[in-house]
Amino acid sequence: MDRSSSSNVESNQVLVEENCHARIVLLNRPKQLNALSFQMISRLLELFLAYEKDPNVKLIILKGNGRAFSAGGDVSAVVRGLVQGNWEFGATYFWKEYILNFLMATYSKPQVSVLNGIVMGGGAGVSVHGRFRIATENSIFAMPETALGLFPDVGASYFLARLPGFFGEYIGLTGARLDGAEMLACGLATHFVSSGRLPFMEEALCKANSSDLATISAIIDKLSEQPNLKENSPYRQLDIINECFSRRTIEEIISALESAAAKQKNDWISSAIKSLKTGSPTSLKISLRSIREGRLQGVGQCLVREYRMVCKVMLGQVSKDFFEGCRAILWDKDRNPKWEPSKLELLKDAMVDHYFTKVDREGWEDLKLPTRSNLPVHAIAKL
Amino acid sequence: MASTPSSSSPSQMNRVNFRTQVLARHLQQPGLSPSSLQSSLCLNYSPPELAERFDFDTGEMRKLLDGHNLEDRDWLFGLMIQNKLFCPRERGGRVFVTPDYNQSKEQQREMTMRRIGYLLERRVFQGWLTGKGPESEWRKLAYLEVVGIYDHSLAIKLGVHFFLWGGAIQFFGTKQHHEKWLRDTENYVIKGCFAMTELGHGSNVRGIETVATYDSKTGEFVINTPSESAQKYWIGGAANHATHTIIFSQLNVNGSNQGVHAFIAQIRDANGNVCPNVRIADCGHKIGLNGVDNGRIWFDNIRIPRENLLNSVADVSPDGQYLSAIKDPDQRFAAFLAPLTSGRVTIAVSAIYQSKISLAISIRYSLTRRAFSLKPNTPEVLLLDYPSHQRRLLPLVAKTCAMSFAANYLKTLYVKRTPESNKTIHIVSSAFKATLTWHNMRTLQECREACGGQGLKTENRVGHLKGEYDVQSTFEGDNNVLMQQVSKALLAEYIAAKKRNRPFKGLGLEHMNNSSPVIPSHLSSSTLRSIQFQTDIFCLRERDLLNRFAADVSECQAQGESKEYAFTLSYQLAEDLGKAFSDRAIFQTFVEAEANLSSGSLKNVLSLLRTMYALITLEEDAAFLRYGYLSPDNAAAVRKEVAKLCSELRPHALAIVSSFGIPDAFLSPIAYDWIEANSWSSVGH
Repeated sequence: MDRSSSSNVESNQVLVEENCHARIVLLNRPKQLNALSFQMISRLLELFLAYEKDPNVKLIILKGNGRAFSAGGDVSAVVRGLVQGNWEFGATYFWKEYILNFLMATYSKPQVSVLNGIVMGGGAGVSVHGRFRIATENSIFAMPETALGLFPDVGASYFLARLPGFFGEYIGLTGARLDGAEMLACGLATHFVSSGRLPFMEEALCKANSSDLATISAIIDKLSEQPNLKENSPYRQLDIINECFSRRTIEEIISALESAAAKQKNDWISSAIKSLKTGSPTSLKISLRSIREGRLQGVGQCLVREYRMVCKVMLGQVSKDFFEGCRAILWDKDRNPKWEPSKLELLKDAMVDHYFTKVDREGWEDLKLPTRSNLPVHAIAKL
Repeated sequence: MASTPSSSSPSQMNRVNFRTQVLARHLQQPGLSPSSLQSSLCLNYSPPELAERFDFDTGEMRKLLDGHNLEDRDWLFGLMIQNKLFCPRERGGRVFVTPDYNQSKEQQREMTMRRIGYLLERRVFQGWLTGKGPESEWRKLAYLEVVGIYDHSLAIKLGVHFFLWGGAIQFFGTKQHHEKWLRDTENYVIKGCFAMTELGHGSNVRGIETVATYDSKTGEFVINTPSESAQKYWIGGAANHATHTIIFSQLNVNGSNQGVHAFIAQIRDANGNVCPNVRIADCGHKIGLNGVDNGRIWFDNIRIPRENLLNSVADVSPDGQYLSAIKDPDQRFAAFLAPLTSGRVTIAVSAIYQSKISLAISIRYSLTRRAFSLKPNTPEVLLLDYPSHQRRLLPLVAKTCAMSFAANYLKTLYVKRTPESNKTIHIVSSAFKATLTWHNMRTLQECREACGGQGLKTENRVGHLKGEYDVQSTFEGDNNVLMQQVSKALLAEYIAAKKRNRPFKGLGLEHMNNSSPVIPSHLSSSTLRSIQFQTDIFCLRERDLLNRFAADVSECQAQGESKEYAFTLSYQLAEDLGKAFSDRAIFQTFVEAEANLSSGSLKNVLSLLRTMYALITLEEDAAFLRYGYLSPDNAAAVRKEVAKLCSELRPHALAIVSSFGIPDAFLSPIAYDWIEANSWSSVGH
């Protein structure tokens, strides 16, 4: 990838509208469903760093152009780089992305993300860490990484682990899709506002001229509504999810799901089983362990660990499933990946451990989190 | 001050005037004009992570300290955090889990059982009794430790059911008992307890008064509590929940007493009604462990079938013949007590985890709490930047790390046990149980004080843990009694070696075969920090004290006293020797843990900790000066080095306690943003 050719087209991938003390940041790569390119990540990082220092900025609204908020990171570019032997591009990409996630998680000013469409993977990473997440009737949320040979990163091991019960394991491992009502119910979204009202919300937020969380919350509250959780939503069966997804290993989770399926016919259970049986075995195992560790760690530690993991994934010493996943899902689109190791039981503990240790490569460093000062209380609590 | 106005003497009046002047100066703040007084901003909480260094990989350190089953531990921590039964509470923007100790003891007992029910449903106990091999044993130990980090009552309730009741059936019982009871125990179809201690007999189990008499006409044992002092006492699980119990009782067959044996009896039916001929009373409210239903039991000639004798060591035939492969009653008794070793192992290990909790909390607090400025108009100083505060906490951190390695060694001994290693396990577990639990109580007290008033709040854990864990120095063998047994056992080794003119072998006593180590007259810093010197001085103390103890006892015996009486008279040397053995053995486990590491930042910090452990032991135990292993000059050099080590360990303090494997949610509000946790907005109003 040639980074010097940042033409206008590329710098237009993130648009900014200044409205009094609010900054409306628009992810603008609609054809790619606002998949976060390296330029977008870099630009967002620049903007957020600048806004934090700028006393004129009190509020940031982040939204997407088109039918997606953001469908994720631009993993296709990363894997292309890897195939061409450019490991550093991927490492730099994830480094910057995770630093951006950390910055957002510990940000001193309120970020309102308008999730009016697809929110997946990296898209969740640039929104869920922020203070306010607005779901709508158009929201579709998913962490689809295990189908791609990756794992839920971008700090997902922090926020998934903190969802009620073992719902985080469920959506992190199966890649199950959630709608706006489900996002609100489980806490991934803080509010539900029907899309028709979004312009009013934006206007009211800009007018408010405030960084005060209670004020902002009150404004959004006024426009928000309580959506109905659909009848067959898995969230209504959190007890089954807890029973199955609290199990110690992926194998045990699958067998618990199978016995649950034997007791009652349920679409979400059978598709969960299918996802767990077709996802990358390596991905599933490291994802489960990552979420379990994340439950006990601060957001910074989570990102440091995830950075180790993603570098190991890119190096492909234990498994090259990331390449295979991209081939099958993004390039050849045959949706028929040949995972290697091909079965859960072939993954020994030591192989899983490998992903959680430092990368033994010249010049490689653990993710270095920026020093943060004057953190708000809610950010301190995430450390 | 206790003086009353009427007793005021002129000098006291002067003192009052002096105090008044001091106070007035404080209020007037000399050097500051009144106009420069501003309303000061609220103290800022700044997370210690932002200022402190992390020179080594805390994950690697945790692996060393926890030693095994890290992923399993994290799983169980997660199971508890994610469930409401574990009382998650938000304080200062974080979630903490800890039982509600403000509940009545009856409520706490019910909550303990409900938590067990949840963990059972989540299959945490799978394989605890039916599992085979070391793998399931290691996992079980890890889970018990994790549960104990949440709540002592929960761990004890499990310990009684699985390790005491279940363990008795495993070890004293035979195939028929295993088949009948183990699976049902693992699934809590029945709830077991363990009735050994009586009102009149605790550590001296051989003196218990309960009697079981065989009735060959019916093929039953008749078990009776013959006196008030024979009532079973402190029986965990007996007051509310247990359906079955192990009864320790003298066995009377055909009019002759065969000593203490273990029996199974049902004490409640499935609906929780107490069985006929059994009376049960509560032990009442305690200073801790109120989630455990300790009870008292009287047996009024209760009849149990012959098969309920746990018969791995001895049996009674249907026609009333006593049969035992072990003829010596002493050995038979020792075989009975073997399962108690597991209790001592788990107690020792859990004591160290409590020290870790309290140190992690008080170190984190001392890195965020300030007190007094050294100069006017300068910020107040962080508690841990005071050398005196470092001296209070950092040696305890080093000891806790050393004892973690010791605990891991003890667990390894236990898991890999063989009939030949029984003696070693008995001695090492006795020594470590006493030493580690004493260390824990001392650590808890120091940490409580180091947290000031905040340490007194139950939600901050440190102070409350004192009440919860005090019992550890008493149950499964009184610490003092255990340490005397250690010294006795060492003496037996000594006598055996001398009598048969054979070298010492085992228990780490091989150093006795070498010539006595020589301690340099001048101790430089680098000598003090060398493993060689540290090993030498620990071995020198142990060897000399063993010689002295042997001489003392034999001199006493030469004057015609019994061996037993000679032991009781030599209690001072016995105490010193027990300590010497324990300290040396702990030190060795540290050296071994360190030896397996390749050089780097982790090894460096471990060597600092090891030296701190060694030198603080030298400084604290008067035996080194008393018996001349250290000259007064050497002792002064040690003291100086300890202060230096404190300042060298100070930068690593946060990283070390972050390696203790205690998730944030299991620490307490003062370990994090204690200003926010105490803010008005957090008050329910």
